[in-house]
Amino acid sequence: MRLLIVDDSSIIRSRIARIMNDPRLPTLMIVGMARNGAEALELFSQSHPELVTMDLTMPEMDGVECTEAMTNLNPEAHILVVSALSDKATAIKALKKGAKGFLYKPFTDEQLIGALLEVMS
Amino acid sequence: MTDITEQEIDVFVGAVNHYFDQITGEKAKIRSSFLAEGDIRPPIYDFTGLISIGGDYRGCIYFSATRVMLMRLLLAMREPRQTDPHLLDAVGEIANTLAGNAREHFGETMAISVPMTFQGAAERLRMTVRERPYVIMIKWKQYEAAVIVDIAKK
Repeated sequence: MRLLIVDDSSIIRSRIARIMNDPRLPTLMIVGMARNGAEALELFSQSHPELVTMDLTMPEMDGVECTEAMTNLNPEAHILVVSALSDKATAIKALKKGAKGFLYKPFTDEQLIGALLEVMS
Repeated sequence: MTDITEQEIDVFVGAVNHYFDQITGEKAKIRSSFLAEGDIRPPIYDFTGLISIGGDYRGCIYFSATRVMLMRLLLAMREPRQTDPHLLDAVGEIANTLAGNAREHFGETMAISVPMTFQGAAERLRMTVRERPYVIMIKWKQYEAAVIVDIAKK
């Protein structure tokens, strides 16, 4: 399964990438890492990932807008929002725009693995 | 503008505790919290992340930490890169996380910006809203940090 990681923090991008090697997850090939929604959309169009981890608060294009654009391109894409924005309205908005799951930051490795497995199922 | 309440300040204390617990498995200790005024200015450590607040609220939230605390936090995340740009990235991400988590209480009408980060001297830190911003002093292991809450409701 091809994976795209979207977050404006390089620390978070690397952390998510490291967790992807966990044996509980299926084999995931990281096809790109993006720092904002615009970059993510370009990579999404080029590399057609089936799985995306999506931050929300990012420069240029935010994660909700990007989720909507990706869902328009491929409604089958599994998008997991990984964000610190902890109000219910934001989570509902992201899910309405096509996200398949929502994980709040700060997260543990276990929580990310659980959320990814849930989104992929 | 209306000041936020002491209970609302506690939202940030809760966010700090949750952050350290999730990332390190160990809660931070809140050494003290106080209103900065007169000669008592908010402490600024080696690296600071600043989030601007908008929407129904105005102001800023800062997270400021020592270099060594950030390095230990990166180790807890198994992040081997510890250069200054990575420490700036980390401090901005923590500020963003604390502000984002506070929306569980304040709701989506508290808009938060992407983080602005800086190293060292605090010339760019000016109290924008409250005459006396609220300071939360944090200790995790022997390392120090502070959260400064300078927001008010429009």
